[in-house]
Amino acid sequence: MNFQLKFAWSDLVQGLKRLWLFCACLIFGVCLVMAAASLYQMLDRVLLSDTRALMGGDVEIESSEPIEQAVLDWLASTGDISLTRELDTMMSTQGDEFALVELLSIDNAYPLYGELTLQPEQNLSSALANDEGQWGVAVDPILAERSQLRVGDTVYIGDLELVIRALVLAQPDRRLNANWRGAPVLISEEAMNASGLLRPGSRVEYEYRIRTSEKVDTWEDNFIAQFPDTDWEIQTFKDRSRRIAERLSQIASGLLIVAFSTLFIGGLGIFNSISVYLQSKRETIATLKACGLRDAKIGQIFVVQIAILASVSGFIGVLFGSGLALIGSQVLSQDLPLVLQASDTIVAAFSAWFFGIVTAFTFALPALGRALQVDVAHLFRANNISGNTISVHWRIASYGFAIMLAILVLFAIPNVLFGLAFLVTVIICLSFFEVVVRGLRWVSRTMEQRQWLLRHAATRLALANMHRPGTPLRITLLSLGTALTLLVACTVIVFSLLRLVETTIPEESPALVLYDVLSEQKEGLHKAASQYDSVNKLTLSPNVRARVSAINGTPIRELGNDDVNWQNQARDEHKLSYLSGNIDGIKIVDGAIWDDSFSANSLANPNIDFAFIMEDREAQQMRLSPGDIVQFSLVGIERTGLLTGIYSQQGIQTRFWFEAIFSDGALDDFINAYVGTIYMDDEEALALQTQLARTYPNIITVRTKDLIDSASDLLNKGTSGLSVISAISLLVSLMVLASVMAAGRSKQSYHAIILYCIGARISYIRRAIIIEYSLLATVVSLFSIILGLIIATLVLQVRLKVFAWDIYWMGMAVACISSVIVFSLGALYLFQKLKIQPAQLLKESS
Amino acid sequence: MIQVSNLTMEYGQADSPLRVLDNLNFSMDGGDTVAIVGPSGSGKTTLLQLLAALEQPTHGSIQLDGQALSHLSPDELADFRRDNMGIVFQSFHLIDSLTALANAALPLDIAGQADSTKRAINMLERVGLKDRTTHYPQQLSGGEQQRVAIARALVHEPRLILADEPTGNLDEKTGKRVADMLFDLHAQSQSTLVLVTHDMRLAQRCKRLFWLESGKLRVEENSEFSA
Repeated sequence: MNFQLKFAWSDLVQGLKRLWLFCACLIFGVCLVMAAASLYQMLDRVLLSDTRALMGGDVEIESSEPIEQAVLDWLASTGDISLTRELDTMMSTQGDEFALVELLSIDNAYPLYGELTLQPEQNLSSALANDEGQWGVAVDPILAERSQLRVGDTVYIGDLELVIRALVLAQPDRRLNANWRGAPVLISEEAMNASGLLRPGSRVEYEYRIRTSEKVDTWEDNFIAQFPDTDWEIQTFKDRSRRIAERLSQIASGLLIVAFSTLFIGGLGIFNSISVYLQSKRETIATLKACGLRDAKIGQIFVVQIAILASVSGFIGVLFGSGLALIGSQVLSQDLPLVLQASDTIVAAFSAWFFGIVTAFTFALPALGRALQVDVAHLFRANNISGNTISVHWRIASYGFAIMLAILVLFAIPNVLFGLAFLVTVIICLSFFEVVVRGLRWVSRTMEQRQWLLRHAATRLALANMHRPGTPLRITLLSLGTALTLLVACTVIVFSLLRLVETTIPEESPALVLYDVLSEQKEGLHKAASQYDSVNKLTLSPNVRARVSAINGTPIRELGNDDVNWQNQARDEHKLSYLSGNIDGIKIVDGAIWDDSFSANSLANPNIDFAFIMEDREAQQMRLSPGDIVQFSLVGIERTGLLTGIYSQQGIQTRFWFEAIFSDGALDDFINAYVGTIYMDDEEALALQTQLARTYPNIITVRTKDLIDSASDLLNKGTSGLSVISAISLLVSLMVLASVMAAGRSKQSYHAIILYCIGARISYIRRAIIIEYSLLATVVSLFSIILGLIIATLVLQVRLKVFAWDIYWMGMAVACISSVIVFSLGALYLFQKLKIQPAQLLKESS
Repeated sequence: MIQVSNLTMEYGQADSPLRVLDNLNFSMDGGDTVAIVGPSGSGKTTLLQLLAALEQPTHGSIQLDGQALSHLSPDELADFRRDNMGIVFQSFHLIDSLTALANAALPLDIAGQADSTKRAINMLERVGLKDRTTHYPQQLSGGEQQRVAIARALVHEPRLILADEPTGNLDEKTGKRVADMLFDLHAQSQSTLVLVTHDMRLAQRCKRLFWLESGKLRVEENSEFSA
């Protein structure tokens, strides 16, 4: 091995210049995977995964009323319990400023996981204690800043006058949505009881967090078995309806798609680069064979070289990627409680580095296997006997690495199905372009014989170049076609995501969003709003809560589909409303809205009371599709509806996000409260908010301007990151593809020189090259566009739930422009070669 | 030492094969010098490749000291070449990433010989290139490259030296100097030298001439040696 190592090193140092493309492909590919994986892991850790700290416990039971002592006893027997009561309410200041807050009363066990940090540093129970008749509160620093509050200031909540004793610098279970529901304000249990806010009808959420050593799934099963007919919502790992988190997740998925596509395209660059390198090493390999070195040992030399190159390039890629990830996390951390932890970076760094090495071997081994088959007779005859076959051992090794790479992709992409889809896509691309290559060869061979082409020598030469033995057509088309297909798909996906974010932040947003407007307060509200000149629209929609009790005649708890947790579905409360006045931006994605003439009496099924449409995520969770008949339990009364369509939420302007919309009249008997929006000038909105808080203290009002701005800022940063990484990816891909063209065409340049030497004019050779490249560019672009758009459509519709047909032209444009650039560079390379002294070139090439 | 029996080599399809070598029988002893001559396409290089165990004959056998080469696996053949053969090519085929010294030491390094550098320096000294040890092939003239190739072929003292047109790529003067050196070095060893050449002056320096024509072999003893 010593000889092999020594030889590998000295040979590598001498030939390093020829391997710049190999290194560049790997560095950029690993860099993007590293950056995307780090950011994804960070987002996953903080936003998407329901970690114990974020959840506040292993399991959370949510109820609208205190749960019975018998249940509490059972819970206590399984672990530690902490109760938090949550209530959305308005807090006012001495300066008459009003703000929506999430009032939290906490017990002594809080927090079960993580640590609460207060400023000034103190014990939470002492901060919240009643000191000389005045209760204390701890408030969120963002709320304090917005409302210009400091420690020691007085605030008013319900009947209480409280003093701010601390700012909450770190709260382990503070979630992203805290910014949206209202910033958290912590008070003691006694203060909550004394606030006067706990009245019949108050929307208090009792959240029981349990810390248990049992497996969460087992715990949940035991709990449901023990208390089968309760309505409490049990949350273990789900934190649904977090629209911003969902968007960030989509962006992160987009990042990963782009990163893996870049790595794959880089892999093609690696294959071409190492093929050219090994081509130049055929003589060395044959000489070593002639000197008596065994094939396996010669293989070891080049394996060592590939390992050295891949390790070093991967390491450099990891360094660049860490820098990118650090910049990304710094930008995002201004808006989110995100800190890039060493664990995110280390895991991502090792994965990306390992990915780089496996990618390098996957793409290099087939080329190496072929090169090692070189015949020593080549040395005697100086003819071109290169290995076109690959021995069984090397073939097995190549397949082994390909499988390892596939497994790594499956592990690296968060959703296994998504990863599988990526692999299938790559295989389909390669197979598809293999067919295209064969077709093109057949067509060019057939066309060349046509009578009408006899007088078009340049065209015939161009056609002959496509099917002659040894033509680089196959590798060129497979590389370019697959890469362009991925570029088309990535472009459409990225632009769709960018557009999605753009539409998520609406151009026009309501200045005030209203919750809990009682039926009898509607008129008063209209009257109050009419006093302000800038009010141009006021909408109110009923907000009714209900549970699904049966689907297609079967009680939901008795449904047998194992992959759905029907017990949880039975406990899940849904927000229902009407279509008229509904300001959620919705889009029908399946089925349709009932038509105007809909009447339950006209249906064949006499049991159906109404028609309704449902939000896509809810429908998907319950496996519902248009035509299903769903029974709802509304305040204990059963009503049955026909599902006519599925919709997706478009924007974040109100965050009502009703989960089902019923036909007119169906909810009339159950409406107690409304939600609404007021479009008006932001300055006047402040005055109206104050007036409403005084007149109707139960109505919760939220000024949306700040929230919309911060969301917009956050998402724009996410999309900027996506745009930057996509742009880098596009540039890298173009570089790789141009190099592939140049690398695969050295033989063609030699043939062109021969033609020149035997009397062909330069213009004739150029014409033939232009015809050939134009044909190839057209074919590659056309098929890449077709396949790329199909892939993009599937990804967008199935995975990302985004629909944007009108930006598909972007993908087409990128394919055409990239194709033109790549083939033009290839042609220029050949034209350049023609300028060199033919004698010199023949000497070099022979 | 070398015993060739009924050696036949055919190329092409089974139903219409092209017979390049037709039933050759000969033997060579240690210290022999043999020139294989004949017109282009007569099978000279094919015979050399068969002797180097780089090709398998269609029929017949080649035995070196009683060892039938056709019975060896590819790895055993590689080891056999490493230990017993030195090959000199017309186009030199030095490894351009290695210095002259490393090229000359290659067979010894492959065999894991600890004194490879010392022996390679000694060999380069014998071919007159002691001051060129650190030069790379591209920094050497054609004659110097071929001398390094000869050093590489002889450094491990092989029993069989195979040379394919060793002076074919060199001018007359340089070619003569290289040939002189090859024969001088061979004379100091007990190895068998087999060379393929079109140059009859070079062929006449061998004890025996193997004439190949249409696949048939005619062996001619060199009268200068028999005299």
